[in-house]
Amino acid sequence: MSKAISNVALNKPKSVMFLILLVTMIVGIFIIRIEVDTDPENMLSPEQADRVFHNIVKNKFQLHDMMVVGVVNDAGVFNPQSLANMLTLANQVDDIDGVVSYDLMALSHVDNISQDESGVLNFQWLMKQAPKSQSDADWIAAQVTRLPLLQNTLVSDDHKAAAIYVPIVDKNESHRISLEIKEIIDTLKGEDQYHITGLPVAEDTFGYQMFVQMGISAPLAALMIMLLMFWYFRNWKFIAAPMIVAMSTCLIVMGVMIGMGYTVHIMSSMIPIFLMPIAVVDSIHIMSDFTENYQTGSDKRQVISEVMHDLFKPMLFTSITSAIGFLSLMLTPIPPVQVFGAFVGLGIFLAFILTIVFVPAYLIVLKPDSLSNLQHRSAESGAMKTFGAWALNNRLKLVLMFAVLLIFSAWGVSKIQINDNPVRWFKSDHPIRIADEVLNDHFAGTYDAYLVFKYENKEAEVAIEQAIREVQSSAVQTKVNEVLADNELAKSAQWQQLLTWAEEVAFIANDPEPYLSVMAIIEQALSDQRYFQKPTSLAYLVNLQKSLQESVLVGKSNGLPEVVKTVYRELKSGEDKDYQLPETSAGVAQTLLQYQSSHRPHDLWHFVTKDFSETVLWLQLTSGDNQDMTQVMQWVEDYVKNNPLPDYVTMKWAGKTYLNQVWQQEMVAGMLTSLLSAFVVVFVMMVLLFRSLVFGFLAMLPLSITITFIYGLIGWVGKDYDMPIAVLSALTLGLSVDFAIHFLQRARDLYKQHRDFGLTMKLMFEEPATAISRNAVVIALGFTPLLVAPLMPYVTVGFFLASIMAVSAVVTLLLLPATMMYFKKWVFK
Amino acid sequence: MKYLILLLLVWQVQAEMNVETIIEKANMASFYAGDDGRSDARMMIVDAQGNKQMRQFVIWRKDIEDGGDQSFLVSFSRPADVKGTVFLVHKKALADDDRWLYLPALDLEKRIAASDNRSSFVGSDFFYEDVSGRHPSADEHQLVGDDEAHYLLKSTPKDSHAVEFAYYTMEIDKTTFLPMLVSYYDTQNKKYREVEVLTVENIKGHPTVMQSKVSNFNTGGHTLMAFRNPQYDIGLTDADFSSRSLRNPPDK
Repeated sequence: MSKAISNVALNKPKSVMFLILLVTMIVGIFIIRIEVDTDPENMLSPEQADRVFHNIVKNKFQLHDMMVVGVVNDAGVFNPQSLANMLTLANQVDDIDGVVSYDLMALSHVDNISQDESGVLNFQWLMKQAPKSQSDADWIAAQVTRLPLLQNTLVSDDHKAAAIYVPIVDKNESHRISLEIKEIIDTLKGEDQYHITGLPVAEDTFGYQMFVQMGISAPLAALMIMLLMFWYFRNWKFIAAPMIVAMSTCLIVMGVMIGMGYTVHIMSSMIPIFLMPIAVVDSIHIMSDFTENYQTGSDKRQVISEVMHDLFKPMLFTSITSAIGFLSLMLTPIPPVQVFGAFVGLGIFLAFILTIVFVPAYLIVLKPDSLSNLQHRSAESGAMKTFGAWALNNRLKLVLMFAVLLIFSAWGVSKIQINDNPVRWFKSDHPIRIADEVLNDHFAGTYDAYLVFKYENKEAEVAIEQAIREVQSSAVQTKVNEVLADNELAKSAQWQQLLTWAEEVAFIANDPEPYLSVMAIIEQALSDQRYFQKPTSLAYLVNLQKSLQESVLVGKSNGLPEVVKTVYRELKSGEDKDYQLPETSAGVAQTLLQYQSSHRPHDLWHFVTKDFSETVLWLQLTSGDNQDMTQVMQWVEDYVKNNPLPDYVTMKWAGKTYLNQVWQQEMVAGMLTSLLSAFVVVFVMMVLLFRSLVFGFLAMLPLSITITFIYGLIGWVGKDYDMPIAVLSALTLGLSVDFAIHFLQRARDLYKQHRDFGLTMKLMFEEPATAISRNAVVIALGFTPLLVAPLMPYVTVGFFLASIMAVSAVVTLLLLPATMMYFKKWVFK
Repeated sequence: MKYLILLLLVWQVQAEMNVETIIEKANMASFYAGDDGRSDARMMIVDAQGNKQMRQFVIWRKDIEDGGDQSFLVSFSRPADVKGTVFLVHKKALADDDRWLYLPALDLEKRIAASDNRSSFVGSDFFYEDVSGRHPSADEHQLVGDDEAHYLLKSTPKDSHAVEFAYYTMEIDKTTFLPMLVSYYDTQNKKYREVEVLTVENIKGHPTVMQSKVSNFNTGGHTLMAFRNPQYDIGLTDADFSSRSLRNPPDK
């Protein structure tokens, strides 16, 4: 097969090159349809249960995506100037297109509930107009401390910071909105500092940075690789071939991906940077071999043909193993990681095909004098020989050293901290990181998680419908059948509809009796169903909230109890002693009826559904770290274990901080699956390729040690195991097995020729070891431009991939000869 | 000849219609029909997702002076949890209203400040002011046109800080003088709220609103209010609107 392919390439080189150019251009053009996706929520598939539930909750309780504008003044924000600024800011933000103005939270946009000396209850805008004097400003401060829902949410406990929560219709608009907010801020006078944060802003900014990185890091990687190759081969025309293969691979893969409608996520934005170095690797092999065998005057066609024949098999196998490493990422239940794995995997095959077709074609059309100054390998190979000799002489020390290293690494792996936080994807000096730090320092927390409680008593529902069906009236039964058949409606809505109907008919009917009994049954049922209106149910929430507050894991929790107790206090004496729940369900209902007579009655429905069967506790966290979220979840789980939920009540988590925790967990488990399965597949392939179990083990040895070492290092250094770190494992596997394959295959071939282990090893450290080290250097240094990327995940990947390449090359070249020496009886029969 | 006289008469009436007269007649038609009255009322509050809440109550009214002071009493019967909750309003033409509240479950009578009447009426899209009437003198009114059936008015608040709207427009029926459609605009000239009369019936010579609807275009919600069994001149006394009525609303 390799013959046929290279014949086509060698016979019609120009057509082949033109075809490749044409395909690249046609497919590459789709790149202009690029759509960036920066929503961390997309780490979970749209059908994932937690994500589905999160969005149901968001919709049901009208919890919009929020941007947070923080105002900080170290002398305190309660002064006429700062408050006037906040009023101006809030009023103008309110007018920005795309802002959900009725849900905007600011001192000027919320109600104060209070009573005067004579006990007159008053709902009034807290700050409709700017305070004229310091005492007016102090009055506002005093009011806020009496409003538990606002305290430490809208104004910090230390009174040095205030916030404006800006709900937005579409989070993709947040960049524009944040710019408009900045414009307004620029017009304000005074000493106040402003910070804009919130997940939507972070996401949008992230998208912008991704473009920057793709526009800078990828070309930088290309440049770096080109310079490295020039250093090796000293011939621009010669090294143009692998560069064209790399460019073409990147353009086609990105074009196909975007053309197929995939959005570009943080992971897939790294595809070009991954493909670039991998795509040149095969070319380097061909070119090294070609340089070795080609002398001026020899038959170019013959040399190319032979080189291609020799390398076809190892290149195919290394491409397959590398691709398997990436394709195994598709086993991870994280869609962006799957897309990344799939397209890098495909890209590796494409690079292989392009290499074996394009490089021969290119070489054949190259004029002989262009090849005249090809560099032969030089000083490198001398160093390699010394290196090899040293490895063999110190094999015992080496094996022991690696054994010790392995133990320490395994120890380090056990210390790994699994943790991630999308805000930390920004570097620590980024304004978003600063805003995040400042605001979480002052307030109860800008990270949200929701605990959703639901009451559902199917038995009672059945009993009620049974009771309605027992009412002796054909008119009632007809209507009941009609209404209950409407599955679109919730139970409470069905009952409400029946109630309304019965009430109307009873008014005009001759015999209202059956209708009145239906009404009685339903009224009772509806009021039973208003579960979270009962003081006992609310008391459960209160106790849980108390426990959470004591845990210190949560900055603050807000819920229906705070609303009820605040209004109840003002209905009664207004003193702290009356900050409690009413004694009866009707008492709660009537208290809340008053709350709804404010300027913002809809605020109630952020906490409870209209039928009062579901309620939400809004937890504010000062940290978005998955670890911290996990701790909170653990605390709640323990609490519920000791204080069981009431009958018929279920509890579930929602909120962005929770979702981040979910995909983090899924990723860890998923990565383990993909790593293990890739490991097994590659091992089986190695055994089959070498037709030897021992060679299979040997092939897996360097990468196993490398992976353990790298993760051990992560554990020891204390770097969190986050998304980029997780993805690395599969990559390492796919990339570093290449070295082992080349080493073992060449060693085997040489042994076959010479039947002498010592000579084989000596020869191994000439050309083959040089090629391996060159490839390691190209890939490792090819990733280093990522170190200057503006976003942390790129930096992490760049740093660790470079070290992985270096480590695994060293391990391959040191450990394989040493181990082979010990096992040579079994290795070479 | 007969028609001609009629036509002249109508023409004359219309010519005399200046904006003050229209406003006064509209105010009278909307809030001062008869000397007193009562009606059963039911509100359906519907949010943007289609979730519904129901409120049912009886409302009594007595005029102290036509176009001037009057009293209202609202007693809730549904949902069952708020049954017996009562609001009492002494509306004052020249001062802030007096408002009281009775919550039976807490056995609590409470006075409520009424300096701001543009807050929600029990969680609906109606404001207190929509139920008891906005003082005509609070706004500058302007007759901006008319069509076959309506006078078109534009009203601008005298104190823009006291209200959430920049201005509102009214389509007032030329025969009944009921404002059939009131639209509220914000400072960006965006219509964000409207109050619409859906059906009118003639009850003892008084054109009476039987169904109306308030829509809030910001939240996407709306509230339907339906009246039933309206009656006029049933002989309510001041005692029916005293603080004693909070616990014992009239049985008329």
